[in-house]
Amino acid sequence: MIVVEGLRKSIRNGPRTVDILKGIDFSVPKGEFVAIMGASGSGKSTLLGLLAGLDTPSAGNVHLNGVAISYLAEDKLAQVRGKTIGFVFQSYQLIPTLTALENVLLPHELNSDSKEASAGLARSRDLLTSVGLGDRLDHYPVQLSGGEQQRVALARAFVLRPPIVLADEPTGNLDSTNGAHVLELLLHLNRTEGTTLVLVTHDPVLATYANRRIVLRDGLVVADEVNPNPAGLAESAAVAI
Amino acid sequence: MASLSYASAIKIAAREMRSSRGKFFFVIMSVAIGVAALTGVRGFSSSFRGALLTRARSIMAGDLAARMFQQVTPEQQKGLDQIAAEGVEITPVTELLSMASSPKTLDPLLVSLKAVDPNKYPFYGKVDLEPADRLQSQLGDDSVVVADDLLIRLHLKVGDQLTVGSKIFRIASVVTNEPDRLSGNFAAGPRVLISRKGLADSGLLAPGSHSGQRYLFKVPAPRNGAPISEKAVADLKLRLEKLLPEAQVTDYRETNPALTQGLDRATSLLSLMSLVALVLGAIGVAMAMRAHLQQRLDTIAIMKSLGARSGQIIKIYVLQTLLLGVAGGLLGVALGTGVQLAFPYLLAKFINVPTEVHLQLRTILTGLGAGVLTTLLFTLPPLLDIRGVRPILIFRRAVEDNDDPFVTAIVRKITKNYAQIGAGFLILIGLAAIATTLSDSATVGKVFSLGLVVVLAVLLAASAAVLASLRFFLSRTRLHLPSSLRHGLANLYRPGNPSSALLAAVGMGVMQIMTVYLVQQAVVSELHLASAPDLPNVFLIDITTAEIDGVSTLLTAQPGVTVAPELLPVVTSRIIAINGLPASEVKLTNFPRRMLQSINLTWSATPPPGTKLAAGKWWSSESIAPQVAVAKRQADRLGVKVGSTITFAAQDQQIVATVAALTEADGQHAFSRAEFVLPQPVLAGLPVVWYGGVHVDPAKVELLQRALYKAYPTVTVINVAAALETVRNVVIQITYVIQFLSAFSIFAGIVILASSIAGTRYRRIREVVVMKTLGATRSRIATVFSIEFAVLGLVAGLVGVFFANLIARILLHRLDIVYHVQWLWTFAALAGTAGLTVITGWAASHRILGQKPLEVLREE
Repeated sequence: MIVVEGLRKSIRNGPRTVDILKGIDFSVPKGEFVAIMGASGSGKSTLLGLLAGLDTPSAGNVHLNGVAISYLAEDKLAQVRGKTIGFVFQSYQLIPTLTALENVLLPHELNSDSKEASAGLARSRDLLTSVGLGDRLDHYPVQLSGGEQQRVALARAFVLRPPIVLADEPTGNLDSTNGAHVLELLLHLNRTEGTTLVLVTHDPVLATYANRRIVLRDGLVVADEVNPNPAGLAESAAVAI
Repeated sequence: MASLSYASAIKIAAREMRSSRGKFFFVIMSVAIGVAALTGVRGFSSSFRGALLTRARSIMAGDLAARMFQQVTPEQQKGLDQIAAEGVEITPVTELLSMASSPKTLDPLLVSLKAVDPNKYPFYGKVDLEPADRLQSQLGDDSVVVADDLLIRLHLKVGDQLTVGSKIFRIASVVTNEPDRLSGNFAAGPRVLISRKGLADSGLLAPGSHSGQRYLFKVPAPRNGAPISEKAVADLKLRLEKLLPEAQVTDYRETNPALTQGLDRATSLLSLMSLVALVLGAIGVAMAMRAHLQQRLDTIAIMKSLGARSGQIIKIYVLQTLLLGVAGGLLGVALGTGVQLAFPYLLAKFINVPTEVHLQLRTILTGLGAGVLTTLLFTLPPLLDIRGVRPILIFRRAVEDNDDPFVTAIVRKITKNYAQIGAGFLILIGLAAIATTLSDSATVGKVFSLGLVVVLAVLLAASAAVLASLRFFLSRTRLHLPSSLRHGLANLYRPGNPSSALLAAVGMGVMQIMTVYLVQQAVVSELHLASAPDLPNVFLIDITTAEIDGVSTLLTAQPGVTVAPELLPVVTSRIIAINGLPASEVKLTNFPRRMLQSINLTWSATPPPGTKLAAGKWWSSESIAPQVAVAKRQADRLGVKVGSTITFAAQDQQIVATVAALTEADGQHAFSRAEFVLPQPVLAGLPVVWYGGVHVDPAKVELLQRALYKAYPTVTVINVAAALETVRNVVIQITYVIQFLSAFSIFAGIVILASSIAGTRYRRIREVVVMKTLGATRSRIATVFSIEFAVLGLVAGLVGVFFANLIARILLHRLDIVYHVQWLWTFAALAGTAGLTVITGWAASHRILGQKPLEVLREE
């Protein structure tokens, strides 16, 4: 599903060049849940951005479902993102001028035919209900708490049923209770939808839920371990999609 | 590939706008003000012009006149009947010299007879009678109205009888003003107005009599109440010139060059103002949309990460821009219509334009269309920047710097920005097309468009140079400058600061506003000269050389005369050949051949007052070579140009004169009637009669007439004070309107500039918050911003004012008006720009200083 070959990323700032990633190689089969870990500055978020085609590597390539995406033209990339990837950001990144429902609906409006509009609307409503925000559809991000915003972002990530979901520290800005709840939702959606999930975190507890752990340090993979016994979901968090 | 439907795009665009109402208010107002100025100025000036031209028509008493010296042929009469059947009104005016006498004394007096149809004449203006009454009521088949000069000379009064030809008429009234006096013959003898039947009954119209026939024409007014178009008059003129090849066909515009020139210049100036208003509005929109899109970068990056393609996002924002453009355009049209209706009331004290204003759909649609089009054009560059927004912006806001050499950096920038450069060209081409379409003056359209291109290029280069210099200067002096100054200057070139755009916008704005001001100043000064109160309003005919000194002394001593009289020597001659060809064979264009037998020559060593050269050169004061300066209008009819030869015959002398120059007179001086001017030595020895022109207080004209008649009974006085007062008033009204509309355009421009500057405040919010949390005081922050604003304003002002003077100079040269550098206003504009930038920047930002950081962040 995801293949990374010789990935490098450097940025220039005046006379200095900063090497963020120095050569990354790994692959992720369909349905797997991978946690990418590392200290702050190890290049985790940059790697995730490259996996999503949000940025261009300095060298190497990323293949999603057999398609090399790293050097595609921006519009082609946008298509790939729309159809293939759901992204959950650390800072939610909801559009402040849209309501919760409108935020979830947006990927559908951008990537589907207008004939499917009512189906998209129904799916968005259902997803928001499933994450416990059925009565907050018309609220703006500024009217929601951090946890609620992240749940909206989750719903948005899954609205088009993407085969791959990338999450960048999805619980990083949340307290432990909200963080746990968001994680449970994410994992449940991962298992019921059969998505491939790549999650960036610095939290080792969170990593125990993953099938596999990849550890980055100074822009390189220093560990790539399979977790034979990932932690399970709490019964109470099971929700139907 | 799923595409974003227009319905979805509009929905997303409208949703976005819902939450940014305050900001979009600026955008809509920018467009609205631009369109309002455009439709208001154009609409009002069109109505005003129409009203003024109606007044101007009174000087001819018609739209067109055809002067002939023979009866029309049956074919020509058929042609005239056809023209009349199409709605054109026609009335004949016959002028001839005749003897008149009082039946009591029988002393004959040469009079200037004018036979009219009082039911039709005049088509414009009115004949003033004393006591006041309508001409139709007083002028019957058995009565005449006469100038008071005749009553003085024949010792008669109203009610007495006057013999004209073989008939006795009753003197019904005194004529004090004929509206077309200026455009008629300045013949000797007091005026007697007679009806057409009266003339026929008098027996004076025998075959072979030397009467001049003038046909007056009135073009039918459009049904919608709009003013008569100049095209309709021009078309009829062409038709008449073909139908009556022996007639001298003139339109009302030729009767008073000062007035029509004033109107033409006003048109050019008003065109300029319209264009300036539009471009300023577009600049305001571009700045506001730029600021808006800058703030939307995060949203755009998120949308791209969700799979939106650049084209889809551009579609959303183009639709948003269109919605704003149409909203602003509609508001602008409504405002402009209100302005158009309000202007006459506001200006009522100064001008008496009738308050009926004709709203023309074409003007409204043009304003709306131009507003929407310029909004779209000017928003293109910031919209195209969307393509370059990378979703990684969400993670990293770093601006990648590079160390490429200068040329490589420029080339890289150009190759990266093909679309923006293309958009820039599109804007300029679009503007030029709009300018040429909207402008009633091709000169203004061309100069304006070219000026914009050059100014924009220079402004961008100047802003880049200034910012680079600042950077260099600061890098050398960093530690020696007070930190507030350092920060203020550094703010100008930090990444993401809209300094370049603001410099360009403010510079362009200042340039345009100053150009309007400088051009209107010069035009108004010139118009004031043309409407000076001491121009001749009474003309004297038939002064002999022996009388000239005495008349001059009498005039100078006369109460009510404050300026020395203008005296014009006239030598009667005839033209016997042109370019060697006998007069009978010369091809004339609408010039009655008979008029070649009666040509008035005069002399002057220098171009006479109120006359300017249209071609060729005047002779030196010592020149004795036979040369002639010909009025351009006559030259065209005679088919002569500079270098041609005209053979005049006066007495038994023949003068073969080479055409040295072609002239145009303003119609305001005695010499304006001199159509053939030669050096004095060439006319030496020939019998001379003098014409004079003097300014007299209108209330004291009768005193002058009596004094002159007493001392010099053969001198005729022609009082055109009322007619000239009409001209003068029209010209003065033009100056008021120009100044008023200029002020309106300038005010609109300042408002737009202010909103552009204010729009940049959003960038400062976060900056202020961070500085405050780090311990900066409000006064410290205020100092930093003030320095930034002031330097921005000064640089923009300098470039703008420089180019304003340059463009004004070029435009005025093309309009044939003298240009003077207005140093005081130049410095005032410079200081004003810096002041405006600082004040506006503060007015928009001061609230931020007083708020707690968290309050501001929450609102963000």
